[in-house]
Amino acid sequence: MMDAPDKKKKIYDDVMRILSETLELSPEDVPEDLSSYSSLPFDSLQLYEFVIDLEEEYKIKISDEALDGIKNIGDVVDLVYGLTENNG
Amino acid sequence: MPRDEELMSEALVRIFENVVLTEEKSLQAGYFSDLSIAEMHTLTAIGPYEARTMTKTAEDLGITTGTLTVAIDRLVRKGYVIRQRDTKDKRVVRISLTRNGKLACRMNSKFHRVLAKHILEGYAPDDREHILKLVSEVDTYIEQQLKRYDNTEDARKTAMEVANDKKSKEKA
Repeated sequence: MMDAPDKKKKIYDDVMRILSETLELSPEDVPEDLSSYSSLPFDSLQLYEFVIDLEEEYKIKISDEALDGIKNIGDVVDLVYGLTENNG
Repeated sequence: MPRDEELMSEALVRIFENVVLTEEKSLQAGYFSDLSIAEMHTLTAIGPYEARTMTKTAEDLGITTGTLTVAIDRLVRKGYVIRQRDTKDKRVVRISLTRNGKLACRMNSKFHRVLAKHILEGYAPDDREHILKLVSEVDTYIEQQLKRYDNTEDARKTAMEVANDKKSKEKA
């Protein structure tokens, strides 16, 4: 069983991998800051592609309300961590 | 008809028609232009998560399983729905969304959320609360009217009762 920092590191790696696949960017070009929607290199379709892939990878459900609170990659990691913890 | 009732009546019909029309136009202009509004609503009824039975989905949409079967055939061909027999009970058919189906479903709910967000954002919190309460009351009332037709063999008779305002006065 992984402890919290290890688990968060794994989630971070998965998030960056899925995001870079969705955006067709190399991981180092994926922006950390997701707060300014207009400056992001992806549209809402790609955002949902990312969300659906993340849901399938972790067998979780991410609501639109939860997405509203996302400002950076760290928030995505915390959200996935919280949802997987709730699943047991 | 008194002016208030006239305004309310016109607004209700217009809101219904314009929401559907806007949704239809946004579909045609967007990524899922091969979907009709009815098909999009079928995808929404299936939902982006667990597989559902044909019977329950038809029930939620208020259509027969026969009608749903035709719609699902088309959505399977278009690549939005997967149809599978239940592994334990072969008589049960389960339907779920493909990745593209999930995308369409989520984009559509985003459309509705953005519409609602833009309507509400000009109001102060107290006013929002008030609007939501009023809208919810209208919603509940119309749903009650719809339920009166459920399990009714003679829809024409119920329609006449609704028009004559019989039962709603009896209940009140």
